[in-house]
Formats: sequence, C-alpha cells, structure tokens
Amino acid sequence: MMVYRLLFVLLIAGYVICIVPFAAYMKNRPVAVKLGYVPSAEVLRVAVGDQKLLVAHIAVVKVLVYFGTLVENLQKKIVLPPEYQNMYTTLQTVVKLDPYNNDTYYFAQAAFTWEVGRAKEVNQMLDYGMKYRTWDYMLPFFAGFNAAYFLKQYEPAARYMQRAAELSGNPLLTNLAARYYYESDKSKIGIDFLEMMEKGAKDEQTRKLYRLRRTALQAVLSIQAAVSQFREQNGRLPGRLDELIEYGLLKRLPEDPYGGSFYLDNSGTVRTTSKFAFREQKK
Amino acid sequence: MKNFRVLLEATLKGFIRDRLFQFLLVCALFIFLIIPALSLFSMRQVQELSVTLSLSAISIILLILTVILGSTSVWRDLDRRYLASILGLPISRTSYILGKFFGIVLFIMTGCILLGLVATAVIALVSVQHPSDIPVRWFQIWLAILLDGLKYILVAAVALLFSSLSTSFYFPFIATLVIYFCGSASQEVYEYIISDYGKTLSVVTHTVISAIYYCIPNFAAFDFKVQAVYLLPVSVQGFLFTGAYFLIYTSIILMIAVWAFNKRELA
Repeated sequence: MMVYRLLFVLLIAGYVICIVPFAAYMKNRPVAVKLGYVPSAEVLRVAVGDQKLLVAHIAVVKVLVYFGTLVENLQKKIVLPPEYQNMYTTLQTVVKLDPYNNDTYYFAQAAFTWEVGRAKEVNQMLDYGMKYRTWDYMLPFFAGFNAAYFLKQYEPAARYMQRAAELSGNPLLTNLAARYYYESDKSKIGIDFLEMMEKGAKDEQTRKLYRLRRTALQAVLSIQAAVSQFREQNGRLPGRLDELIEYGLLKRLPEDPYGGSFYLDNSGTVRTTSKFAFREQKK
Repeated sequence: MKNFRVLLEATLKGFIRDRLFQFLLVCALFIFLIIPALSLFSMRQVQELSVTLSLSAISIILLILTVILGSTSVWRDLDRRYLASILGLPISRTSYILGKFFGIVLFIMTGCILLGLVATAVIALVSVQHPSDIPVRWFQIWLAILLDGLKYILVAAVALLFSSLSTSFYFPFIATLVIYFCGSASQEVYEYIISDYGKTLSVVTHTVISAIYYCIPNFAAFDFKVQAVYLLPVSVQGFLFTGAYFLIYTSIILMIAVWAFNKRELA
C-alpha cells in the first residue's frame, strides 16, 4: 500500500514537472502542424452522415484560428510561411459539405485575393456560393470587386455589383457598379472597398487585416499623387523617391506596413519590395 | 393492455434511474453551457453556428442514448435473469418487446423535448447577443429536433430487432452502429453511383449498391438541419414522405423483432 501511494505521489510530481514545458511546446508548435489534413469532401460527405454542417464549421474554424495566428505573428514582426494551398483546399471541402457557410466565402475573400492573387479561384467559389446563398448581397459584392480590381474585368464586375445592389438595396453599391464601368483609379477603388469592409468586419483580427491593407494603399496613393505633381512641375520622373521630399511634395515617405520599401518602376508607377504580401511557403 | 402499460412504466423508470443516463444528461448540459462560447469562433455567423452546434449536440446525445438503450434493454433482462421471471407471468412476448420499444420511445421523446428546451434557451441567448441577417425560426428548429427524434426511434427499433436475435451485448450494439452509419451514408453513396461516376461501375456492383440502398433505413431523410440553420423552406411533401417512411419502416422492423423474439428459444 505504501509503495502504491509513493508511486502515485511520484506520478503526480512527474505530471506537474512535465505539464509546464509540455504546454509551452504545444503553444509554440510550428503553425503548419496545427492546420493539418482534412479528408476530401467526397469521403467526408459519406463518412459524417448528418453532421456535415458541424464538420464544415470545425474545418473552417480550424483555418480561421490558423490564419489568425499568422496575422498575430506578423504584427509581432514574425513572418511564418502560410499553407495557402492547404487552406484553400480545406475551404473547398467546406463549401462542398455546407454550401451555405458564410464564413468560408468571407474568409476566402479576405485571405486569397490580396496576398495570394487567387481572385479568379475565389470568384469561382463565390459563383458556387451565389447558387445557394441567393439572398446574400456580399457574395456578388466580393466577386464584383475582385473582377474589377484584381482581374480588370470591368463589365462582369459591374454585373456582379448590380446584383449586389439589387439584393441589398444599398445605393452605394449601385454607385460602385456604375464606377466600375468608368473608373480607372484602382488604388482609390481599393481604399473605398477596404473602408467599407473594415466598417462591416465583426471581429478585430479581420478589421486589423483590412486596416493594414488600407494603410498600404493610402501610402501608394499619396506617393503616386506626389510623383504626378513632380512630373507636371519638372517634366521628368523623380530619380529617387527622396526627391519628392526635397521638392516639398511629401513631408516624409510613408512606411509600407508589410515591411517593404517603396520604389518607382520605369513607367513611374509606385511599387514596393513587399508586393503587399506575406511570404508564401515554397514547395 | 394493463401488462403492456406496466412493462412500459417499468422500462421507463429503469432508464430514468440508470446512473449512466443521468451522467449523459449532465454531460449534455455541460455541452450546451459551452455552446455560446464555441459559437464565437465564427466570423460572420455566430447565431448559425450556435444552431448547428445545438442540433449536432442533440443528435449525438440521442444517438448514444438510443444505441445503448436499444441494444442493452433485452440483454440486461436476460443477464440478470429477469426475463424468465417476467415471461413466467401472464405477459406475452409480443407485449414484452412492444413494452420495451415504447418505453424507449417515451425516453427518447422526453430527452428530445428536454434537450430541445435547453437548445432553445442557448440559441435565443446567442441570437440576442449576436443577431444574424438570417432570423431564427423556431418552427424549423423544432421540426429538425422532432425529425431527429423520429430517426432515433427508428434506430431503437433496429437495435431492438438485433437484441431479439442475440443473447450477446456486442452483436446488437455493433450491428446497430453499423446500420446507423450505413443508413446515414446510403443516400450520398446512391447519388454518387447514379451520377456519371456510376457509369464506370459494373451492372452487378450497381445492382448490389442499389439493393442495399433500398433495404437499409435511409436516415438522411430525417436530416432537416440545413433548413433550420439557414432558414431554407421545408418541403411539405418531403416531410409527409419522411413521416410515412418512418411509420412503415418502423412497423416492419418491429413486426420482425416480435416474430423473431416469439420464435426464440429462451432457456
């Protein structure tokens, strides 16, 4: 009996010693491990029976938590390579299990257009979602923006936006639909869109993400305006962006919130070394 | 009729007094308590997630209750040697099986109502705190709960059928679970084989899968969760078909169970 008690106390002590480093290890595991593998939709549809909605929600929450960790780390200047392909495949599985799942479309729009440049694939997903969420104006609104801003397809963009305007009854969207036919100032369209998204975002993490991009685009817009003014005044492009400060057109050069440096390309367009993107995982 | 009522009451009381079921109900309450917090993981559909989690919790709890109740109720009486004493009384074997079945039905429906009430409170709380573009329609939610209840009554009938055939605990338990999972997946598999993919299958495979689809219970018919979560219209025709299917299929299974139990040698 004594030996039994001693063993029990030893085990408890061992547990107490192990649990703190174990918890630290679990917390600091590489994020890539945390996203993990989700079986294909065809297998899941058969395997999970009447729990399709639950499994879809679990999969999308898994992606949201994973991506939230990446954004948090980015704010702490820790850049981790995201598993974009794995995230996208998981979201495709989710919509096959639950085509009504709004989180999926919302997140795909937030994560796969700007950083990864998958606007075409996101629009395919949104087209699929529109067949089910027939009342939801956000899906055509997203698709319209993607078509105009990323794919430069202004006619389909206007059609999407018109559908969004009809569903929502929001005159602003009608206005946007009209602007997509004529507007050519891409950065301004982007800022307007991001402002609207930021206001509508319900969670702080997504709001921060939109704010980050809006700040970046505002920086580009202010430098581009100064470059245009410089060209008008001097009949040439500035050799360095610092010249804009020397000529009093900018008080200081704005920072790229993605951590890159702004520069001018040969055509006089403002670019940045970060390309406004998190680093993607190399295969 | 009196014997049947006595058996039904005894079965129901036995379940209520069972520590295992009391423990399951406590677990269920705990799950419902954490649903409002879990729902916050959603970005845009907190209320919808709370409805999904509540309906899924009810479904999983009822599945555990039904499989255990259905597959152990006859086995327990046999194991404790109660069955011989009961059947020594002027009680027919048919009354015994039906008494067991309706005891389970009453327990499932009581569980359904209790869990449904807790789910209603949880969903109401979440929907007030995080209103969605999609309003909550209690009719759709309660319809989904009711149909889930009917599904598990059918599962209980299947479990009782297996219990009537076997003296073992394991056979009815495992066989019921297998039928449950096959019956939940059969619609998906059937739709898969009648799609373009099915053209690549041999006629024999096609016929065998189709035959299985028509023979085993189709539990997918009772799944009205998506209508409840996203407020989609409920087809009256679909509801009536499901109701008729439930009545006919359950009656057939019960009749086979009664027949098998009457034929069985009980030492």
